[in-house]
Amino acid sequence: MTLAIRLPQAGLRRYGSLLSPMAWGALAVAAAVVLLSLFAPVLAPYDPDYVDLNNVLAGPSGQHLLGTDALGRDLLSRLMHGGRTSLLGPTVVVIGSTVLGLLLGLVAGWSEGWLGKVLGRLFDLLFAFPALLMAMLAIALFGKGLLAPILAMTIAYVPYVARLAQSLVVAERGRPYVQAYRVLGFRTPWVVLGRVLPNLIPTVGAQSTLNFGYVLADLAALSFIGLGVQPPTSDWGAMIEESRGALLGGYILPAFWPALVVVLVVVAVNVIGEELSDRIGGKLS
Amino acid sequence: MSQLLQIENFTLGFPGRPPLLDSVSLHVNDGEAVALVGESGSGKSLTTRAALGLLPDGSQSSGRVSVRGLDTLTATGKQLMELRRRHASMIFQDPRAGINPVRTVGDFLTETLVRLDGLSRAEATERAVTQLEQVGLRRAKELMEQHPHQLSGGMLQRVMIAAALLNSPDLLLCDEPTTALDVTTQAGIVRLLRDEQQSRGMGMLFITHDLNLAASLCERVYVLRRGEVVEHGKTQTVFLTPEQDYTRQLVEATPAIEVGGLAAPVVAGPPLLKISGLSKTYQLPRGEIITALDDAGFSLPEGGSLGIVGESGSGKSTLARLVVALETATSGELLLRNLPRPNRALKASERKVLAKDVQIVFQDPYLSLDPRIPVGNAVADVFRLHQKQGRKEAKDSARALLGRVGIGQERFDARPRALSGGQRQRVALAKALAARPRLLVLDEATSALDVSVQAQVLELVEELRDQLGLTILFVTHDLAVVSRLCSELLVMHQGRIVEQGPTARILEDPGDDYTRNLIASRPRPLWDAEPVTA
Repeated sequence: MTLAIRLPQAGLRRYGSLLSPMAWGALAVAAAVVLLSLFAPVLAPYDPDYVDLNNVLAGPSGQHLLGTDALGRDLLSRLMHGGRTSLLGPTVVVIGSTVLGLLLGLVAGWSEGWLGKVLGRLFDLLFAFPALLMAMLAIALFGKGLLAPILAMTIAYVPYVARLAQSLVVAERGRPYVQAYRVLGFRTPWVVLGRVLPNLIPTVGAQSTLNFGYVLADLAALSFIGLGVQPPTSDWGAMIEESRGALLGGYILPAFWPALVVVLVVVAVNVIGEELSDRIGGKLS
Repeated sequence: MSQLLQIENFTLGFPGRPPLLDSVSLHVNDGEAVALVGESGSGKSLTTRAALGLLPDGSQSSGRVSVRGLDTLTATGKQLMELRRRHASMIFQDPRAGINPVRTVGDFLTETLVRLDGLSRAEATERAVTQLEQVGLRRAKELMEQHPHQLSGGMLQRVMIAAALLNSPDLLLCDEPTTALDVTTQAGIVRLLRDEQQSRGMGMLFITHDLNLAASLCERVYVLRRGEVVEHGKTQTVFLTPEQDYTRQLVEATPAIEVGGLAAPVVAGPPLLKISGLSKTYQLPRGEIITALDDAGFSLPEGGSLGIVGESGSGKSTLARLVVALETATSGELLLRNLPRPNRALKASERKVLAKDVQIVFQDPYLSLDPRIPVGNAVADVFRLHQKQGRKEAKDSARALLGRVGIGQERFDARPRALSGGQRQRVALAKALAARPRLLVLDEATSALDVSVQAQVLELVEELRDQLGLTILFVTHDLAVVSRLCSELLVMHQGRIVEQGPTARILEDPGDDYTRNLIASRPRPLWDAEPVTA
């Protein structure tokens, strides 16, 4: 009698094995964008808010590598500085929704009684509201800026993590190793937080990585419709919005660069997330 | 005599790795039943699949595998299809995995007849019904309209056999077809296979890890080990006078009911565990009530050993889970060390106290250890919790205990996936013993292991029982295991205890019809006298 079960590798080690060339590429793109944004104050050639009305809507040149916008601001510098706000939002949302989602998912998955059912229905309810709608609602309540949409997005993305964590916990709870912990007399919080939680992190991490891309696009969209980051702060979504006039005048570049970066980052993050979840899925099945 | 299946110097492997099969040669003649025995990973299934041209992706093979003269290693897809349709059929261990759950049994059986043999629906249905009746299924017409989930495992395996026989194959390949079934069900399937094979003059290659089963069904046997045939010949000769050490070990490790050589001392004394009128019922969402355990009662003295035997659904696992408080009884009384168990979920503090009285080892060695925690730490955690030991002291204790159960120093930091099934069960045992319980519940703890490993683990349990004065509650489907380990026996059937008493007495003179049936269902070698009629 053979028990042909391929076991999941323990904990974070699942991440360890080599990635595909595609994923390496995606990782390189993501890392480059993050580093350039992070060190923008040092690396950026110009002050992103420096207006040079003598040099508006210039094409790429030795002086301005990516050209300038309608106010003569250096596009490369604005992109680099814009990354700081554009990446900060999704980072906060992903961390917040992962932590909250994991906790709620653990509670919902572990409690066999009414609490689990109620939380499950609550997640379903939240699923019904599009994240963007919730963000706009929050903006209507708390005003424009970065804070309101981040809070709203965090709540909107909690169920994605919580639902997954809940189903994983339900599966783990029935496993003999967890039952053995109970019979051995270990306290529930120790078992749940110390033993079960770490076993969920790789799978949940893959989901959260995917979420990052969605949130980035959502926040950029909010800035584009003028509800997110307010001028003059540079932000990729806001940059596209500011360039609408130039776009109509036939100047593509000021809108093209930020749009390209958004697409690149979203695709890169999705590739990484898919790769992670494929690996974990393949190992679990 | 023509050779139906002939495998010559068949080697199979992946490039750059040691071969999975190494120069395997075997043959099956027309009308002959041949067994292929070996432990997990020995290459039994690979060999058999190759007969149908099923090779693992990316593998390299050499040698010859031919069925009726067709070399399946070089045959075209079309030839293989023809072979599988006309000459050879296969049945697998898990019948449920081989049938489409959303279509009826009738659809499953008639599909090929209608589409490939050009029979009309009515003709095909008639053929299928006849075949179902022939494999011993009653109310075959109604069965044709049913879906797989409405059938038991044994019935479904009969359906699979019927499907395999529909095209009147010359060769029937059986890959552990009864391993997932209860012993009484297995007896029926084995009888059916034997009858069909003999009356049709089919050749049969029967893969199993169970030597008893091989002996009860096949005239010739091949013993496979790590991809090599170590011994072959007449079943009786090979099993009674094995030439190779490995075969001898395998024969010795195969559990047999031993009434005389009972190792377990009979103990009389104050009861450690006393159960009376214990019942467990479950309510299904639709309001239906299922009785998993009905009015169970027994007592187990300190230092005693009780075997609980029954088939799936008999309530034996429910009983074990009640004893370790993973389930709460619906009614009845359970006294452990004269302390009554409350009929509610235990509080954390109560559970911690209980842990020092009773521990459990589960069946599945692949799921019963935390995949992320190195085995040494897993055991040390228990020492820290229960023996109030510091980090370093607990590690030392764990090292000593693991050493005692046969897990060496070098494995201390290994994660469970790096260990074999037998080693994992040893770790699970160590984890349970670290709480220093009086009562150890073993829930089919050796059932998933190969026989030689099972024998070693059983030996270890015996040793620990004697050294530590443990009281043992051994839940299993295998009478032979119990006969070796337990002085008292309790037989369960459909949630009720049908018989209990000293193991030797029950095995020699069973008082209940079900017990008699259970004992008679154990496979007997062909060369033995006719089975005692129940």
